[in-house]
Amino acid sequence: MATLNLKQVEKTYANGYKAIHGINLEISDGEFAVLVGPSGCGKSTLLRMIAGLETISDGEISIGDRVVNTVAPADRDIAMVFQNYALYPHMSNYANMAYGLKNRGYNKDEIDRRVREAGTILQLTELLDRKPRQLSGGQRQRVAMGRAIVREPKAFLFDEPLSNLDAKLRVDMRLEIKNLQQRLGTTSVYVTHDQVEAMTLADRLIVMNGGVAEQIGSPIDIYNTPATRFVAGFIGSPSMNFLDGRVSNDRSHVVLTDGTRLALDHNVAENRDVVVGVRPEHLSITTPTESSIAAKVRITESLGAETLVYLTFGSKNEAITLRMQGTHTYAAGDELTLYSNPSQIHLFDQASGRRI
Amino acid sequence: MYQSKWRSLTNHVILILGSLFMIMPVWIAFASSTHTREFLFQNGLQFLPGGHFFENYGKILFDQSATKGRVTALQMLFNSMVLGLGFAIGKVIISMMAAYAIVYFRFRLAMPLFWVIFATLLLPLEVRIVPSYEVVAKLGLLNSYTGLILPLIASATGTFFFRQFYRSVPDELLEAARLDGAGPWRFFIDILVPLSVTMIAAIFIIMFVVGWNQYLWPLLMTTDDQLYTIVIGIKQVYNSLYEGGQIPQFPKAFALTIMASIPPVLVVVIFQRMFVRGLVETEK
Ligand SMILES: Nc1ncnc2c1ncn2[C@@H]1O[C@H](COP(=O)(O)OP(=O)(O)OP(=O)(O)O)[C@@H](O)[C@H]1O
Ligand SMILES: [Mg+2]
Repeated sequence: MATLNLKQVEKTYANGYKAIHGINLEISDGEFAVLVGPSGCGKSTLLRMIAGLETISDGEISIGDRVVNTVAPADRDIAMVFQNYALYPHMSNYANMAYGLKNRGYNKDEIDRRVREAGTILQLTELLDRKPRQLSGGQRQRVAMGRAIVREPKAFLFDEPLSNLDAKLRVDMRLEIKNLQQRLGTTSVYVTHDQVEAMTLADRLIVMNGGVAEQIGSPIDIYNTPATRFVAGFIGSPSMNFLDGRVSNDRSHVVLTDGTRLALDHNVAENRDVVVGVRPEHLSITTPTESSIAAKVRITESLGAETLVYLTFGSKNEAITLRMQGTHTYAAGDELTLYSNPSQIHLFDQASGRRI
Repeated sequence: MYQSKWRSLTNHVILILGSLFMIMPVWIAFASSTHTREFLFQNGLQFLPGGHFFENYGKILFDQSATKGRVTALQMLFNSMVLGLGFAIGKVIISMMAAYAIVYFRFRLAMPLFWVIFATLLLPLEVRIVPSYEVVAKLGLLNSYTGLILPLIASATGTFFFRQFYRSVPDELLEAARLDGAGPWRFFIDILVPLSVTMIAAIFIIMFVVGWNQYLWPLLMTTDDQLYTIVIGIKQVYNSLYEGGQIPQFPKAFALTIMASIPPVLVVVIFQRMFVRGLVETEK
């Protein structure tokens, strides 16, 4: 168990592509950190740099109080779980879990004790003698986790470990991973592009975009106060609605493209061009008022417990999504008036996308 | 149901006829090899075995004078076995290691080297046999097993197949092994080799048969009768069929031929099992 420290870490691939643009990150002992971001943003790259599978072009990574930039992967005392499990197909599950210990020269009894213990924790006891191919996807993923935990490493690294599993199993395994991590108290870094996984697992969430960490914080903080328009749109599902607007002279309103005036309680300069962000779950239907948005229904999706209504707004046909509890039906073309509490309205700078 | 029965019946008839057609010459050779030469000379090729199986085979296996050279068929079979096994095992080992270097190590000239190796595929042995002979002769390796095997041991085909196979092994396996503390050598022995079993069996079969059937190369490399391979022996026996005004040695020639074909058949049968098992095992 250890802290994990990244200082101004950069990665430039051999072909000249710069995948990581200087990331600073401090993960404390026993913390579960989740790297989330769209495909190609550099999550795997960063994780593999921590693992030692990619060289570090610039900056410094330390595990515990040791700088590991030039330390071989095997000597970094970390264990990694891969998306496609990467189990050795010709070895039994037992041998798969024992292999790392064997190479490190542990004696037979100690190996056996650790593998059996991990087998019990992961409910694999009956499956230890089988080969990986004789297991289901979920069981294989457990073996892969077993291989990681028998090593009792300083940190676990997970690269999208659940994305090959079906939806139901994914939820189960997610809970299992969380439980396991809390039980073992091992510092973990987990890569995913599934934001539900990200929100539920993370003690600390790192939202990445284009090789930079756009925001680092607890999931709830990030949800409540996204630092950039990108983060706001990426975290939360369905994603946040964005409408262009301009702050009024008296700074009490923001004027949308069709002239609608939304009440504000932000402290913001007048006449500034902004992007208004409102989450679908923070919109509700009201009777028309001074400060309501009039929008036309396009499609309604009923999910049983909740209903998603997709609407268009104004002359520019800006898209708005509304999330309502329960079942509702609207016909295409119906006109709804929507309202959001000013405290739940986010403002972003139009040019930079930064939160105002 | 009815139709598929008919179809499978016709399929079987065709297959059986085809097999008979292929097996018949071998059978005739075998049956004929168990008669005396006088009988064969008078009555031509035989469909039914005669009563001289042990006599003919025993003589050719153990008696030097039975073959033209001063060497028994047993010795020639042994020589062929050494050549075939050395050839196959050597090629498998060398090409596995060459492919390992090419695929897993980033060194300068890796690609050019690979293409150079690959290009030698285009040159059959016969083309480079004279310089190869020169090299072996200068090294003083004529008339030795080493001289027979060593110059042929590099295999472009084998290297190529192993390379393709290694490239299909997921990178994550290597990475997992690195994290598990396996160095390059451990990774090769513990992971790549077991995963390649199918490939090894396939290459081994092919190379053994190729090695066993070598003719021109051992003919040039050996002048000592004791190093003759069975294929050369057959040629010698057939050459001498009509020499000396005697009744031709047909039964002996046939017996030698039959014996020459048994080891490759055995190798194919045995290794094919491994091959098929490997195919089933590595699936997924
Ligand atoms: N070996 C490499 N050489 C050059 N560029 C690479 C290499 N590996 C990855 N990249 C590039 O680096 C960027 C980040 O890749 P990375 O694999 O870290 O993305 P990711 O965030 O994990 O995406 P995903 O969610 O799809 O797995 C991508 O644009 C990718 O094309
Ligand atoms: Mg990735």
